[in-house]
Amino acid sequence: MSYQSRHGSLLTEDARTRKRNRAESRFKAYGLTAVIASVLALFMLLASILSNGLGAFQQTFVTINIALPEDKLDKSGVRDPEVMAKVSTFGYTPLIRDGLVQTLANAGIETDQSAKALLGLISKEAPAALRYRVLANPDLVGQTVSMELLANGRIDGFFKGRVTMESAALDKNTSPEILQVAQQLADDGLMTTRFNWGFLTKPDASDQRPESAGLGVAILGSLYMMIVVLALALPLGVAASIYLEEFAPNNWITDLIEVNISNLAAVPSIVYGILGLAIFINFAGLPQSAPLVGGLVLTLMTLPTIIISTRAALKSVPPSIRDAALGVGASKMQSVFHHVLPLAAPGILTGTIIGLAQALGETAPLLLIGMVAFVKEYPEIGIEGFTDPATALPVQIFNWTQRADPAFVERAFGAIITLLVFLLFMNLLAIFLRRKFERRW
Amino acid sequence: MKDQAEMDNSMPTPSKISASGVQVYYGDNHAIKDVNVEIADKTVTAFIGPSGCGKSTFLRCINRMNDTIDVCRVEGDIRIDGEDIYDPKVDPVQLRAKVGMVFQKPNPFPKSIYDNVAYGPKIHGLARDKAELDEIVETALRRGAIWDEVKDRLDAPGTGLSGGQQQRLCIARAVATEPEVLLMDEPCSALDPIATAQVEELIDDLRQRFSVVIVTHSMQQAARVSQRTAFFHLGNLVEMDDTDKIFTNPRDPRTESYISGRIG
Repeated sequence: MSYQSRHGSLLTEDARTRKRNRAESRFKAYGLTAVIASVLALFMLLASILSNGLGAFQQTFVTINIALPEDKLDKSGVRDPEVMAKVSTFGYTPLIRDGLVQTLANAGIETDQSAKALLGLISKEAPAALRYRVLANPDLVGQTVSMELLANGRIDGFFKGRVTMESAALDKNTSPEILQVAQQLADDGLMTTRFNWGFLTKPDASDQRPESAGLGVAILGSLYMMIVVLALALPLGVAASIYLEEFAPNNWITDLIEVNISNLAAVPSIVYGILGLAIFINFAGLPQSAPLVGGLVLTLMTLPTIIISTRAALKSVPPSIRDAALGVGASKMQSVFHHVLPLAAPGILTGTIIGLAQALGETAPLLLIGMVAFVKEYPEIGIEGFTDPATALPVQIFNWTQRADPAFVERAFGAIITLLVFLLFMNLLAIFLRRKFERRW
Repeated sequence: MKDQAEMDNSMPTPSKISASGVQVYYGDNHAIKDVNVEIADKTVTAFIGPSGCGKSTFLRCINRMNDTIDVCRVEGDIRIDGEDIYDPKVDPVQLRAKVGMVFQKPNPFPKSIYDNVAYGPKIHGLARDKAELDEIVETALRRGAIWDEVKDRLDAPGTGLSGGQQQRLCIARAVATEPEVLLMDEPCSALDPIATAQVEELIDDLRQRFSVVIVTHSMQQAARVSQRTAFFHLGNLVEMDDTDKIFTNPRDPRTESYISGRIG
């Protein structure tokens, strides 16, 4: 009875409990709101990227029959590619024009447009593609070949809904009449929009021909840089962490190094770019725009991340394991390499991949070392490729957003999707490796 | 027992371990104050005392595990078989092969039972081939009184065993390198009474081959397993004598207070 009088009934909440419970449910509501807001924001971001960028993976092609007369392409008649190379891409343009007019006539498509205007249906890249094909296979000369050519960016945009009859009327690069011809070609099955591998494999293209611009050089450049970063940052970072965590004496120099590593992780990446420009290019004389230099700069940037996560992973290995190893007479190094490091490996791998992912998405330092340049040539496959000019994925995105033609906006978003897919893949790899190597103790 | 005690006093046999004037500092903290201890071969010596009295610290001096603690400083003279183990020429790694250690919490490596035991012999090159290593592992597991329980699953992870089995595995791991001295730092504090009884029985067997030094919080345990007992208090070695003497007829009033439960 005395309990009853002191505490009241347990079946009714007292004022203080009610207040506490209310505060708790309020706090839960705030938290939930925050989560929902972030999910919504993320969803909108992804939706906008996907809706803008998926089109870049589709491209419109037009199939025409092209006659390849010998008198235009190979007057000598020896079919020697070196001789035939004297005919420049300009020499191929009339062939494409004639082929297009012929194809239209065969398909029964009537138009009052001039042949020159009709050429606006086809990418300015087409003559080069035709020339490349002919030089690779000189025996085609004298025949009539059927060839699938890239459609002009405006025409491509028309089929993707970016260009309309109204906007075409105001556009000096195309006209509603041309679009009508394109529509008829599509109706006849001569013009199709399909998946475009070229977006992932082709090099960048000039302002006038967005339809042929691709990520090939950027992907290759990024790949080379990642190889450099992995080859340098992982061993350096892990070795530095092991030394600091397991061997370094506990004194003010070690403390100073530790504090500064944490600080370096927070240094803006553009500062690393300036450093790279000053040291690697100006002082060491390495070439500009090279994946090697980009990789070195990104290594500097990634090292603190890797060191911090590796040290955290080493720290989380229980000291009893070290004691056990030392207790049976293992040396310090044996205890680290036989026992501590394998247990820390999942954490180290995760940290490394996160560091690599950061490096893959980094733009600012690359701008300063010249990787922002327009690069049309693929870097060599192999060791020489590391010093050949290249761009990188994020820089390519930056580059394309600077271009005037709206078709490049689509390509920039497509490149963002590509970059995100790479990052997603790396994160999945990190999760997979962690699961695989994780051991309980 | 009495005869033996008299023999010890009258005609001191050369001790396995002899420590004199040992001082240990943790930074400014003077943890061990001028301790002199003689530990005989093929006996079990127990270190008892309240928490923080320095008994574990002193134990860890004997195989130089304190070296791994930066702020720890050891002074004085500790000799095993007459050799100063803090001599600059001594490599602690070599010392620890001679002086094995079992820790308070069972700490098997996250590897198979076999690899746990085989690790020490491997790094010390005790086996010439696989067959010899198998034999060493089996012998060690038998000495650890765990062979019958694990012989069918040597590839199973050592961490999957029960606490008592893990501790016996750790003992097997420690004896696999053929040490001469076995240090045990409260080996039963994380175990239930049944596992404790098994480990205690094992300690008694180990006495045949090793000199065992055991730190324990349990006075009953010290009384059960040891022949000699040292009582530590506030970093001082208060009293060291035959175990039955310490528990029945202590010389120092502090020892008497501790074993009767008045200080601790």
